[in-house]
Amino acid sequence: MASARRLLRPPVLGLAAAFFFPAAAAAQTPTLAERIEACGACHGVDGNSPMEKIPSLAGQPELFIANQLILMREGVRPVEAMTPFVKDLKDDTVVALARHYAALQPKPSGEAADPALAARGAEIGKTKRCDSCHLPTLAGSAQIPRIGKQRIDYLIHSLKQFRDSPHPGADTIMSGAVAGLSDADLAALAHYAAAR
Amino acid sequence: MTSPSLRRSGFAVAGTFALLAAASFPAAAQPPGFSKMDLTKPAASGQDAKLRPHATPNTVTPGDKIPVDKVKLPRGFKAEIWSQGHPGARTMVEGAKGTIFMGTRLIGRVYAITNKDGKRETKVLLQGLTQPNGLAFKDGALYVLAINRVLRYDNIEDKLDNPGQPVELTDKFNLPDTIHHNWKYAAFGPDGKLYIQVGANCNVCEINNGTHGQIRRYNPDGTGMEIVARGVRNTVGFDWHPVTGELWFTDNGRDWAGNAGPEDELNRVAKGQEGAFYGFPYCHANGVPDPDVRIPNACRGVVLPAALTGPHSAGLGIRFYTGDMFPARYKNVAFIARRGSWNREQKFGYDVVIARTSGGKARLSPFLTGLLDEGKNEFHGRPTYVHQMKDGSLLVSDEQNGATYRISYQGRTAKKK
Repeated sequence: MASARRLLRPPVLGLAAAFFFPAAAAAQTPTLAERIEACGACHGVDGNSPMEKIPSLAGQPELFIANQLILMREGVRPVEAMTPFVKDLKDDTVVALARHYAALQPKPSGEAADPALAARGAEIGKTKRCDSCHLPTLAGSAQIPRIGKQRIDYLIHSLKQFRDSPHPGADTIMSGAVAGLSDADLAALAHYAAAR
Repeated sequence: MTSPSLRRSGFAVAGTFALLAAASFPAAAQPPGFSKMDLTKPAASGQDAKLRPHATPNTVTPGDKIPVDKVKLPRGFKAEIWSQGHPGARTMVEGAKGTIFMGTRLIGRVYAITNKDGKRETKVLLQGLTQPNGLAFKDGALYVLAINRVLRYDNIEDKLDNPGQPVELTDKFNLPDTIHHNWKYAAFGPDGKLYIQVGANCNVCEINNGTHGQIRRYNPDGTGMEIVARGVRNTVGFDWHPVTGELWFTDNGRDWAGNAGPEDELNRVAKGQEGAFYGFPYCHANGVPDPDVRIPNACRGVVLPAALTGPHSAGLGIRFYTGDMFPARYKNVAFIARRGSWNREQKFGYDVVIARTSGGKARLSPFLTGLLDEGKNEFHGRPTYVHQMKDGSLLVSDEQNGATYRISYQGRTAKKK
């Protein structure tokens, strides 16, 4: 059993924050532009991630981004790599960042998509009713993320977490949706979504 | 129990910067905690496939956007904003010294709201919990229930600035760690026991009656568990009738079986009927067999509800009124907050109704309305729980706007709001 302290107060990598916010090292709050620059180092300057297993943010629904930043800040969805960036985020900065990325144009990642896998993923997706929440375009809406044009490796990574972690976060819909699917099924779903 | 490191790294992103590189996610050690047996057939429901739960904002709603001016009440009653700026406002319990403790779901916080010079001061008491909806107060201690976790903060009102380490009761209560429909509701009964629900961890499926779809009661230390009600899909609100001492609970009906229902329920556990069966998953509402989980004589032996509370209306908090401020006709009447529908094309609920009980039956009538615009099919707020204050006024939490409304009675001669 985790101690309450550890669960309630996620660890902080202060060093990393200083690394990304050199101007902020002198205890100044980074500007929005500085924050966006720091985000872009991993998530891509245009919000389309060039990096393995790092999600693209371009064209994600504003509320989805805002929710995730807040859940990371609160420690409900602890992501260690993100902790230094979110720990002091105020609501208005959260909303400004979310608005910025929601307005950017999503682009395919350039990973090799397998058409046969994508076709199989489309069939699985029908039975799992992905389009019910993520919309037929898979562009997402409100609190539901865009999965169309998301990175394949990130989608696989994320789907596996939903399937395998008994504590997949505060929302349970995805865990129910992917329960019982094989690794191959999840890969097919990822290729299907990324190609949309 | 999952190790803390596994839980924390559950969503970790494998960074490419050495400085940040979190290890990639470890291989699955446990099967998912969710039913693979969900038998929902949405396509057969004839409902709009795009229906989905409405998002709850996790950011502060500015004061001028809180829709208190939309609220309509019977003549003589008045609504005002009592507290605001606490996103995700749901459950409310009052400490002996007057602190209102408030539970949430997604945002994972427990708030403490105090009165200072006639104004409310809101603190984030706890954060980072998974859906801490279950709160109960007894002998100076706050019990916090977050899915299967049970924490007790002794003398909490003396240390609101630094609650410190809780007494860990999770293992003693040994609640299932499945999350779906298991954001907790908890309350101490007149017998001094802590009553806790364990919801069905699916929309509709065969559940293990020994572990899920129940209301249980425990001694405050987690010993002496007894099952009080079985076959209960998803109750997140209950209270005891002030005269009969019987337990009454709201229950949310299944989704994806049509816009018309099956309707949600208000139920009673009659004296001596503890452990009775309320029908899930075979029999819903006032005797509707489930279309997906079929058995012969689906409603035989099922306790039918005291009242139907509307299709997909999501009746959550319930409180019997025992105060002196409201007119005598409200004495011992139950106030029920209906959070409002999502699995219904024409929205329904988003209000507070009253239930007048008589024996094992109840009649509903409107109380707080105005938060649903039926013409536009839009809602302005979502009442989730009700709490009776010491002065007899009623607090209603609005989860959508992170606020509470205080409902007071001004008298019949008062100008209609």
